[in-house]
Amino acid sequence: MVKRGPAGLAVEVDKASFSYNNIKAIDELTLQVPSGISFGLLGPNGAGKTTLIRLLVGLLKPKSGSVRILGKTPSRKIAHLIGYMPQLHSLYTELSIIQNVDFFARVYQLTDKHQRARRVEEVIKLVDLWQRRKDSVLKLSGGMRQRVSLACAIVHNPPLLFLDEPTVGLDPELRVTFWEHFADLTRQGTTLIISSHTMDDAAHCQKLAFLRLGRVIALGAPAELRAATGNAEATLEDAFLYFIKQDEVKQNVG
Amino acid sequence: MSASTLTIARRIILQLIRDRRTLVLLIIVPLVIASLVGVIVPDKTTLDYVAPPMLAVLILFFGFILTGISSLRERSQGTMERLMASPVSRLDIVGGYLLGFLGFALIQTLILFFYNTYVFDVSFRGDLWQILVFQILIGTGAVCMGIFFSILARNEFQMMQFIPLIILPQIVLCGLIWPVEQMPNYLQWLANALPLTYGVDGIKALMVQGQSLLDIGKDVGVLAGYAVGLLILAAITLRRGAAS
Repeated sequence: MVKRGPAGLAVEVDKASFSYNNIKAIDELTLQVPSGISFGLLGPNGAGKTTLIRLLVGLLKPKSGSVRILGKTPSRKIAHLIGYMPQLHSLYTELSIIQNVDFFARVYQLTDKHQRARRVEEVIKLVDLWQRRKDSVLKLSGGMRQRVSLACAIVHNPPLLFLDEPTVGLDPELRVTFWEHFADLTRQGTTLIISSHTMDDAAHCQKLAFLRLGRVIALGAPAELRAATGNAEATLEDAFLYFIKQDEVKQNVG
Repeated sequence: MSASTLTIARRIILQLIRDRRTLVLLIIVPLVIASLVGVIVPDKTTLDYVAPPMLAVLILFFGFILTGISSLRERSQGTMERLMASPVSRLDIVGGYLLGFLGFALIQTLILFFYNTYVFDVSFRGDLWQILVFQILIGTGAVCMGIFFSILARNEFQMMQFIPLIILPQIVLCGLIWPVEQMPNYLQWLANALPLTYGVDGIKALMVQGQSLLDIGKDVGVLAGYAVGLLILAAITLRRGAAS
């Protein structure tokens, strides 16, 4: 069963701030993400996407404001309810594909041996690497490693999944395959929080937040954001640039 | 002991087993060092005195460097970040490292023990199990020290610089090369602040004089204190390292 926060919210961020050595990475950011959708965090490098995801998975604590996932403050107690695919491949390169996925299945407390073996097989097949399951990660290409990383993040079937730039470095064909997996997951009720700086990824998300300098500068469905520019033929890239200009004006006035 | 600790220890053992070259080196390097010592030291009486401290020195050295580099790689590869976002606790991670690496360190101790006994005819007194328990104490401190210092390093090269800074002074001052009592006062003070001094003192008492763990309560106590302190320090610093 999919767990939800109050009013069906998967993520609630209220005026959260975070800085690294006095450099503000997140600046009084407020955001709400409903359950069961694919939600994109879009922004250029340094916009605060990775820091926000790290706050949401509990790796960092906000200096002020609050962060809640599935109605609770991120902690080890609810860590089994989330899946996390960091920006790096984050795999044990000496181990094989199956050993990596099995390790994370154990970490996420899939204690029943048969159930774990079944689930490990299922996710490796899902990312289409069953034939290579005994190969060490060291022998795999970047795209294959990305697929193993995804398998590790979803092996425990979490209701909330954080994917930090999951499609970086993937070829167009693999990118399509990834988005098919993501669509399947949302159909099953999983909430996906996906960070990206490409507008191609943005178009696949049901809802988007444009981030700039640690703040949300626009929020809505891709079609709504495009329409906000007032140009019927505007692309998401046009919309993003439009909101950046609007924000610059606002900041200068402020 | 939690299931997560065992899961992490199992993974560390699997990683080392699959890395055949490292595994072979882990066995060969101590044997090469023991052989060198065995050949260089002229008489058997001196060898009987020098060989036991080598066990303490090697477990400190390998425990520190293996854990330090593994922990550093875990951070640079991003797997530590992944673990820290999972239900696994920091103590589970440190505990898993301890179990995984101590297993290998103890196998090294046994290989060295029997190699010295049967190849170089080194005489040992005392019980083997007491020697192993004492080695676990030294190894625990070494593993936790490795995790702690890996947080301060950004790459393997920097981690290697900790060997001359952290390990070498301990080897020089532990009493293996020169008796601590005959050192200048300020060096005695420094030597008495370092864990290997108690490791070498204790292992000599166990293996050369045939004393028991109860007889060397001070060495056991100080090493246990170091182990617990470093374990807490390693667990505390893990979070800072994961998200840096």
